[in-house]
Amino acid sequence: MPESRQIKKSKKKNVRKKENGQAAPEQLSREKKEKLEDLDNYIEDVLEEAGEDFLDQFKQIEGQ
Amino acid sequence: MSIPKIVGIEQEYAIQLKGDPSLTAFEASCMLVNAYARSVGLREPGSQVLWDYAHETPYEDIRGRLFRKSATRQVVSDEDNLRINAGLPNGARFYTDHAHPEYSTAESRGARQAIACDKAGETILRKAAAQLKQLCPEVGITLYKNNSDHKGHSYGCHENYLLDARGHDQFLAGDARAAGRVLIPFLVTRQVFTGAGKVGGEAAHSRGAAYQISQRADFMENLFGLETTHARPIINTRAEHHADASRFRRLHLIIGDANMCETAGFLKLGATQIVLQMMEDGFLDEDLAFRDPIDALGRISRKYDTAIALDNGHRMTAVQIQRRFLERAEAFAGTAGAAAIPEYDAILACWADVLDGLDRLKLSPDFDIEDDPGALCRKLDWALKLWLLNRYRSTRSSSWDHPLLKVLDLQYHRVDSMDGIFYKLQQDKMTDRLCDDGQVAHFVEHAPEDTRAYFRSRCIQKYAREMYLLNWEVVGFDNGEVHRMVPLLNPLQGTREQFETLFDNAADSIAMMSALEADAA
Repeated sequence: MPESRQIKKSKKKNVRKKENGQAAPEQLSREKKEKLEDLDNYIEDVLEEAGEDFLDQFKQIEGQ
Repeated sequence: MSIPKIVGIEQEYAIQLKGDPSLTAFEASCMLVNAYARSVGLREPGSQVLWDYAHETPYEDIRGRLFRKSATRQVVSDEDNLRINAGLPNGARFYTDHAHPEYSTAESRGARQAIACDKAGETILRKAAAQLKQLCPEVGITLYKNNSDHKGHSYGCHENYLLDARGHDQFLAGDARAAGRVLIPFLVTRQVFTGAGKVGGEAAHSRGAAYQISQRADFMENLFGLETTHARPIINTRAEHHADASRFRRLHLIIGDANMCETAGFLKLGATQIVLQMMEDGFLDEDLAFRDPIDALGRISRKYDTAIALDNGHRMTAVQIQRRFLERAEAFAGTAGAAAIPEYDAILACWADVLDGLDRLKLSPDFDIEDDPGALCRKLDWALKLWLLNRYRSTRSSSWDHPLLKVLDLQYHRVDSMDGIFYKLQQDKMTDRLCDDGQVAHFVEHAPEDTRAYFRSRCIQKYAREMYLLNWEVVGFDNGEVHRMVPLLNPLQGTREQFETLFDNAADSIAMMSALEADAA
């Protein structure tokens, strides 16, 4: 039980630090990495959805 | 004596169609306009508010008769007028211009307010696309807020600023050299923070460019002129002021890029307001004339820290020139002219912060961002897009001529759904915001309260069924046998402070105009 309580306390402390924008470097780095991986996947999806012929078809008329 | 620099933005959106091959961009744009107009109650039976073209004079030139173009005025039928136009309850205009949906914001006093109105325009386009999807599921439309299709076609993000007639004629219409010494150098160099970024080049001089900070630089060919689709000028000189011409002028700039980043948009409008105010007050006696301003525009776009030759023999970078303007603006603080610009100090702080960031930014010869201590990637479109492109290039080991980079460039600007890449970056808090969602949502429904836009907006919200026409400077009512017009010739008048009680108390337009007449008497 004491061990369990200690772990919970530690997690809570980390959350508070994150809220203050002062997360531990390794945590920040992990979060940032996850965010960037998510962005990379998102971009892949967007490009796939747009399709290979997107650029060929994207043609506009001069605006006034 | 200068006057407040009321500002508005006209954004032409790129439109991409899927599905019905017979549908044209013009028709699809009209469908968007009407889908949204219908959703806000402007297409109910008996409601027919036309856009009044009577005050549009695109072929008259501020420089005089010698420069005017001869053209026959186009007559638009009422049916086509309604098909093309919607004057919205928030005081803005949503319409079809040529083959683009275009959104013109209502008049704002401050840069942050104008950016919130511009963002409200994105929201309205997104709502229009959703409405149309419900009405016509077979029509696939995607919309982009940018300025180039990467095939040599450009569409604008125009800015309008209210100027005092005397100052305007002194610095622009009367003496082109005066504009060349101050205003043109400012406009040519402000791309270091206004640029939306672009992969590649579309002009003869920019072929082979890997990346440019400005989308419009490739398409600017003149300093002044009436054209908008070819031989484009930095300053459009059409004498169409949408206000009392004895007192006011409209400065119509067509050089600007469309901004997704709020900081870039805020600084574009705010710094320009300050420079115009200093010009009107005779506070700028600099001579920063470029030897060749159009050439300078392209050079800076391709390499923002390149030194450009001035007429006086010196060479300066764009950032050095912007610093000169910033120093003058800091000295101008505390004057009556500065006090007329909302958030003057915030604009100066943002300006200084961005120029400091540009001084410290390190790019490799291949446009890799080596160091960005000023966090410009959170503030400026060209820097944020460059970071995004480089991230993609690094994972794919691709060179700048990879075609998918242009696709990524375009997808950054997608606005018809929250799937656009910029919106993804914004949701992930990777870009700084200056407006919150509540402010943007407010301006989807309401006009700024401290300009004539408030009056126009309240008329549309309350008396649309009694109106038969409107434009920027007039609201017209059809009261049975009589047509009555309310002129809005002073953009600074018609505010909430002046007219809220009148609108709250007047049940119909007849009562509203009776109260107006009683006040006037």
